[in-house]
Amino acid sequence: MDETLKTRIKAHLDQEPPRHWRSLEERELTAEARAAGWHEFAPGASEPMEVPEEGLSRRRFLGLVGATAALAATAACSKVERGTIVPYTKRPVEVIPGVANYYASAFSEGSRVYSVLVKTREGRPIHLTGNDENPASLGKTSPRAMADILRLYDADRLRAPRMNDLPASWDSIATVMMKTLGAAKRNGRPVLLMTGAVPSPSRRAVIADFKEFLPTLEHVAWEPVEGLSQQAAVASYGAAVGISPKVDRAKVILSFGADILNGEDPLAIAGFAAGRRPSKPGEPMNRLWVFEGAMSLTGASADHRVPLKPSKLAAAAFALARDLNATHGVALPPGVDGAALPARPAEVPESLWKALLADLKAAGKTSLVLCGAQMPTEAHQAVHLLNEMLGTRGTTLDVTPAEKLASPADLMALTQGMASGKYDLVILWGVNPAYANVGGAAFAAALGKVPTSAWIGVLPDETAALCKIQISENHWLESWGDYDCGAGTVALQQPAVGTIYDTAQGEEVLLHWMKTLGSLLPADYHAYLKDRWQEKVYSAGTPVAFERYFEAALHDGYVQLPAAAPSALAFQGGAVKEAASRAAAAGGSGFELLLQPSATVYDGRYANNGWLQELPDPVTKVTWCNPVSVSVADAQKLGVTDGDHVKVSLGSASVEVPVVRQPGQAEGVLVLALGYGRTVGSVASGVGVNAYPFLDASGASSAVRSSAQVTRTLVSAALPITQGHHKMEGRDIVRTLTLAEYAQEAGKAEKKEELITLYPEQQFPDHKWGMAIDLSACVGCSGCVVACQSENNVPVVGPEQVTKGREMHWIRIDRYYEGDPANPKVAHQPMLCQQCDDAPCENVCPVNATNHSPDGLNQMVYNRCVGTRYCANNCPYKVRRFNFLEFTAFEKQPETLVHNPEVTVRPRGVMEKCTFCVQRINDARVRAKGEKRPLRDGEIVPACAAACPAEAIVFGDLKDPKSRVSELSRSDRGYKVLAELGIRPAITYLAGLKNPAEGGTHEG
Amino acid sequence: MKADAALQRELPEVLRTPELTVGPVTPGSLDDQVLKFPAQKPPRAWYIGFAISASVMTLGLSLIGYTIFTGIGVWGNNSPVFWAFDIINFVFWVGIGHAGTLISAILFLFRKRWRNAIARFAEAMTIFAVMCAGIFPLIHVGRPWLAFWLFPYPNQRALWTNFRSPLLWDVFAVSTYFSVSAMFWFLGLVPDIASMRDRTKNKILKPIYTVLSLGWRGAASHWQHYEKAYLLLAGLATGLVLSVHSVVSFDFAVSLVPGWHMTIFPPYFVTGAIFAGFAMVVIVLVVVREVMDLKNLITDYHLEVMNKVILGMSCLMGYSYFMEGFTAWYSMNEYLHSSFMNLITGTYAWAGWLTISCNVLIPQILWFKKARTSYFWMLLVAMAVTVGMWFERFCIIVISLHKDYLPSSWHLYKPTLVDLGILLGSFGLFFTLVMLFARVLPVIATTEVKAILPGGQPTHQGGGHE
Repeated sequence: MDETLKTRIKAHLDQEPPRHWRSLEERELTAEARAAGWHEFAPGASEPMEVPEEGLSRRRFLGLVGATAALAATAACSKVERGTIVPYTKRPVEVIPGVANYYASAFSEGSRVYSVLVKTREGRPIHLTGNDENPASLGKTSPRAMADILRLYDADRLRAPRMNDLPASWDSIATVMMKTLGAAKRNGRPVLLMTGAVPSPSRRAVIADFKEFLPTLEHVAWEPVEGLSQQAAVASYGAAVGISPKVDRAKVILSFGADILNGEDPLAIAGFAAGRRPSKPGEPMNRLWVFEGAMSLTGASADHRVPLKPSKLAAAAFALARDLNATHGVALPPGVDGAALPARPAEVPESLWKALLADLKAAGKTSLVLCGAQMPTEAHQAVHLLNEMLGTRGTTLDVTPAEKLASPADLMALTQGMASGKYDLVILWGVNPAYANVGGAAFAAALGKVPTSAWIGVLPDETAALCKIQISENHWLESWGDYDCGAGTVALQQPAVGTIYDTAQGEEVLLHWMKTLGSLLPADYHAYLKDRWQEKVYSAGTPVAFERYFEAALHDGYVQLPAAAPSALAFQGGAVKEAASRAAAAGGSGFELLLQPSATVYDGRYANNGWLQELPDPVTKVTWCNPVSVSVADAQKLGVTDGDHVKVSLGSASVEVPVVRQPGQAEGVLVLALGYGRTVGSVASGVGVNAYPFLDASGASSAVRSSAQVTRTLVSAALPITQGHHKMEGRDIVRTLTLAEYAQEAGKAEKKEELITLYPEQQFPDHKWGMAIDLSACVGCSGCVVACQSENNVPVVGPEQVTKGREMHWIRIDRYYEGDPANPKVAHQPMLCQQCDDAPCENVCPVNATNHSPDGLNQMVYNRCVGTRYCANNCPYKVRRFNFLEFTAFEKQPETLVHNPEVTVRPRGVMEKCTFCVQRINDARVRAKGEKRPLRDGEIVPACAAACPAEAIVFGDLKDPKSRVSELSRSDRGYKVLAELGIRPAITYLAGLKNPAEGGTHEG
Repeated sequence: MKADAALQRELPEVLRTPELTVGPVTPGSLDDQVLKFPAQKPPRAWYIGFAISASVMTLGLSLIGYTIFTGIGVWGNNSPVFWAFDIINFVFWVGIGHAGTLISAILFLFRKRWRNAIARFAEAMTIFAVMCAGIFPLIHVGRPWLAFWLFPYPNQRALWTNFRSPLLWDVFAVSTYFSVSAMFWFLGLVPDIASMRDRTKNKILKPIYTVLSLGWRGAASHWQHYEKAYLLLAGLATGLVLSVHSVVSFDFAVSLVPGWHMTIFPPYFVTGAIFAGFAMVVIVLVVVREVMDLKNLITDYHLEVMNKVILGMSCLMGYSYFMEGFTAWYSMNEYLHSSFMNLITGTYAWAGWLTISCNVLIPQILWFKKARTSYFWMLLVAMAVTVGMWFERFCIIVISLHKDYLPSSWHLYKPTLVDLGILLGSFGLFFTLVMLFARVLPVIATTEVKAILPGGQPTHQGGGHE
């Protein structure tokens, strides 16, 4: 084919095909005519409705206007009430809507200080965690501390000052106080100021200043359940002491009724757990020995546990000292005669005793002996003696001088003084002696006789109701302050929110009154605090100016000062002989009643806190009441079972309480929690019974009482308990190995047959979130439960609903007993949504309300859920929670202000469950995207993991083989609960480990 | 003569002279006897019965209103027993319905002529039972006002249902069952309604009957179409007898709850459904034949045959229970094993034994002919079966759920008064509907009975064709 032909063919092909023309214009082939030929309608008639980059045709403009008007009108027709939203006209510094701010602050529960980080959203505090920079908190805090944020928004708060049961102005109160204080000063009449423990140096300074202006001021620091051991400390060391254990340094820990793992002391749990997670066999582990009457969390984690009546603990401890000296050659301190010490109590098996002696001898300085605060004085003295012998002071134990707290006997004397007209004015600041006190009724009567009584506090209580002047105090999140954390660390407290109501902080109130007495101190506590810090804390040599120093301290939440020199408190051996003889004789007839602060509502100060009332007691799992714990054998003898009501009487005091049978509790011991039976407070009142009248005001062991009587009543009612079955039924749910078994088992990876699945494999393109939970580290403190409740707006349902089995916690701590009910093995297991790959909940939901995300989350779409509850039936872990009733919508401000705005509040009829804190995952993801970097391992921390003092919960990406969670998931202790169902849970549990001593039989 | 009659009854049905009625019954007398009820004022007993059942129904409806207003927290359901009376009642009522379909469809296909006299009533009961059943899935969800989301309808949110969920299968199974049963029932009614139209002198009822009879004139072409349609629907309904309760059983069998997750469930459920349904039919028919004086049409023979079915089903139930235990043992699955042990030794073992006694032991009395023909025994058995079958669902649902995998979440279940009230109310609704039906529509399919009257069919003896 020649070139010309080719060109011609090409030209021919390029030519437009002949076509019929529809108009003359088309025939003339103008561009316009061609374009018109493609459109059936006139230009603009069939344009798509999208806004072009430039210019709008008239037609399209009208169309858009019409559509806008119609849509606006439709939207405006909605009947849903919309609150007024006003934008910030002047935006507060640092507040960006939608972005959380964190402030370091601190607070104290009695003399225990918690350094915390406050998460705020749009100016409202919504969540608390420990301050991770402060060495005294290491990012962890206690369950009660986390829950105390709820008090800020408690509807019961005193919102303005009152006088004589009427609202009063600050000025009118100041006038009255000026007169009263002035008269007291002129006439030299004593004025009583009663406060809780004062671990704050600046608050102490304010009180000292107050005393300077009013020399007749008597300051009494009193804590209802602390300070019971101070008498022993005085006997042993000649002064009140604080004993701070360094559990992380201890190889052998011996507890005499000391519940160090109950969550109160996160550092103790962290230290304990750090010594209990060997990554491979052969690594050392600490060993915990527990002698106790009640079953405690510490006893539950023990390697060896001996149930022993609290009255016998002292004898056991003294006998240990004797045998350490006699058989192992450990020297007794001067002044102590080994022959005067009692011999081993018969309840302790000999083999165990020998193993313990050998263990203590071998550990020497690295052992740690502790005694529970409620235990008898002699037990404390015996433990002081043991620590002296082993030389633990300075290594595993710090003994420092502590504030002198009033004892029950002191309080009795005070009450008598009030009744006899000693005081013209009584100021009660943050204390509730009309309730939390053995002589509560007498105190109330005496208070009525005082001409002027003023109460300063946040939540009106039994005492406030009796006072003429009630001063509304700031919550600690609205206040300034500082706290001594020990070892030279001082935590700084700053308000995370302005005062919500007409309140002032206590220090400020005192400063104000001082002003009326003529003081020149600033009435503003912030200024006072800063002045004091500049003078006392800031040292002149510091290279930065004070303002910057203070701001840095505020930012960090603490400053580290040089630690005080170790105390030169000498152990006084002289008191031992008498204590030992009393110990040998201790114990009486009848039941022995042990009174201990509640693990949740403590001494009653948290009784109005719904989260804590509904937090199951970590041991009994009972919520919303304080049943009397009875050992299983005693219950059998008494013919009672869980929920039967009994009458417990001792002397003139008696209460009617339900029984809960407690495996592991020593026979002949009754345990009753303090802090319940409040009569004031919309949540607190009527919950449980008041056990304070059982305390002994005179004796040396006021919380351990002998000769209690128990009689059955005919009443019986189901307990609000979250776990009613305590045996594992031989199922492979919680695995616990001894170190020896671990050494044998390790490496023998179990090969369970994987079930085949009908459905295609789940694909996880980027991430697959997973979790590893180390059961060896978990002590069951329940901090994760509170953290989750706070983070995820988990509702409180109340005792009736808990009784019915409708509690809403997204994470719970399952607790199982195995073996002899007299001294069982205890296992804890945090149970939350396992985010299964082949989740059985997903395929049964008829409306696809629960489905799988591409990053491995089993997600719950609340607004799609119609509530068939099929998913919950099909969840083998029973971690799904259903809103059987409207639990949240009727909440009003201020309660709703605590809600996390990142998490939907669920209406009734909707299923909910753990999301792995998806809001935190997304927050981190958005941040990483903004910074154009991949997500880092450990960047995402769900609330439970963040709160866990034992670091037992680790979260991360299972697709990243180097992530911590992947490493842990591959651990030879790792297993999945109910793996045999083939549902592929994303949570790996690491088997718990026990480290029983050789020679000692494995007791618990 | 007497001996002759006795011999007649002993003969297999096919060999018998087609005498399924007692005494002289002619087509005319049959019409007079059956069709007179809608035309006359009901007796006093009817009013009393209606007042009671309507009151109970109202109580139930009020409690349903209360539940919807407050939330299902007013029931005893909890975690882990997320389903309880709601689903028990649902399964119970769906089951009751099955006898009707079995009688009207399957026995029709098997040419069991004794079904003709009782098919109408049994089928009506099916429809009413399914109506009672249908209430429960609707009200048991947490947000009943959104229950329509269970239907796959196109919506602007592009949301679709999950076809993997047995609950969705339920939606289809039950709604199909209801619509097919209703159609089948109505189709059978057409010739009878036409008869009533022709008989009535009431000016209000006449146009109503006229509309409902769809222009039925009894022409041969009508009959031809009618018989074809009836046969087709019977075929359709036959499948449903087996499928509906199988699908309902999938709600349980497809899940992984120990005690639910078993392959025996579909046949076991179908058997149970027929069993419970027949018992309910016996109870109602005894009342109907006495009160409405239909003993010549619904004869002792009818009751006896139904009692035989009950006996057979009872034996199958016994086998199913035994297989449950056998599976639990043979599977060596500890969860299944403990679930079965809960049934016979646990807290609710009384319900387990009640179920076994009522469903397996008591019906064995029907081996005796005396019992099969005695009102006392047959009513005792029928009531026992009704109670037993309700408790069987209680066992399956509550006992399996209250103790599943993790002992930490085990929890007992206790119904509330609201639960009991709604259960009672569903019976009220059922009997109210039954009584309304007996009042306004022919309770016996006259056309079908005419076909089995002596001389109603071409016979060899009669020499009709020879």
